[in-house]
Amino acid sequence: MPVPPFFGPKIAGIELAYTVIVVFLCFLVYYKTKDMYNLTKYKGIGYFRKAFLFFGLAYASRFILHILTFTSRLIFDSYMPRRATFPLMMIVVGYLSTMAIFYLTYSTVWKRINYKHFIIFSNVLAILVSAIAFISRSNILLSLLQLILLAFTIIISIKKHKKGKKKSHARALYLLISTFWLVNLLLVGPRRFVPFEFKVIMQLVSLVIFFVIYYKVKKWVK
Amino acid sequence: MGKMNRKRDRLEVIHDFLQIISNNHNSIKPTPLLRKTNLSSQSFSEYYEELLQKGLIKEIKNSKGKKYITLTDRGFKYLEKYKYILGFIDEFEL
Repeated sequence: MPVPPFFGPKIAGIELAYTVIVVFLCFLVYYKTKDMYNLTKYKGIGYFRKAFLFFGLAYASRFILHILTFTSRLIFDSYMPRRATFPLMMIVVGYLSTMAIFYLTYSTVWKRINYKHFIIFSNVLAILVSAIAFISRSNILLSLLQLILLAFTIIISIKKHKKGKKKSHARALYLLISTFWLVNLLLVGPRRFVPFEFKVIMQLVSLVIFFVIYYKVKKWVK
Repeated sequence: MGKMNRKRDRLEVIHDFLQIISNNHNSIKPTPLLRKTNLSSQSFSEYYEELLQKGLIKEIKNSKGKKYITLTDRGFKYLEKYKYILGFIDEFEL
């Protein structure tokens, strides 16, 4: 079976480069803040670090899912059929990305909410989301579920935001990261109606946001 | 609201705790430290245990067997990085 024209070596190369840079930046944020967290054991820094660890892993697993969508028939048919690998990867992607969104939001509101069962609650929801993704085998449904969760966490975040606090644009960056993740997840699969140029521009903007966050982290972690 | 009246943040209390030790030539007895930190006895004990456990402070005894508290290298590092830690927390609204 020939490689589909919408997933040639050029597109695969761009996807790989994009994933490598994002994963690298996420892990760099996680690594650079290690010292600061170990010194203070400050919960907010801990949640922030975990959010980027989960985002890095989610982007890496998304790339594998993307490759599986197009190539599993070509490569794995005789060893591991697509119907087995794709849903399994949906579980991984669903869980990791849901946790990333939760941790990122919670890092900004944990002082006001201070919900001691947050880790159990977020894990249960993330497992539920990934179970739905596994059963439905639909990245579109997974994106929609995460969109609902994201909207819900934004509402809580706005409601719990301390009025009069100095604005740092961090929340806008978090919102953009989460939104770009959802769009990226939505675009996994043969979406012929999405122009290639649109996808590349979107990925470039998303990279700029990750670079801005890394730059801001680097500024304070010396 | 003045600094003395408002509730101090945990990181700030730790900073003040360590700063007092540093300002006393890195050697202070527990009782004057308790007084200078402006904490209740219970809070003081909790912070004291926490800082010992985290390796930010340590206890030493002089030749007469009297107990003194000093900063460790990690304690000095905390003081040195404090403003960056606060900056980071503000920047990312953590």
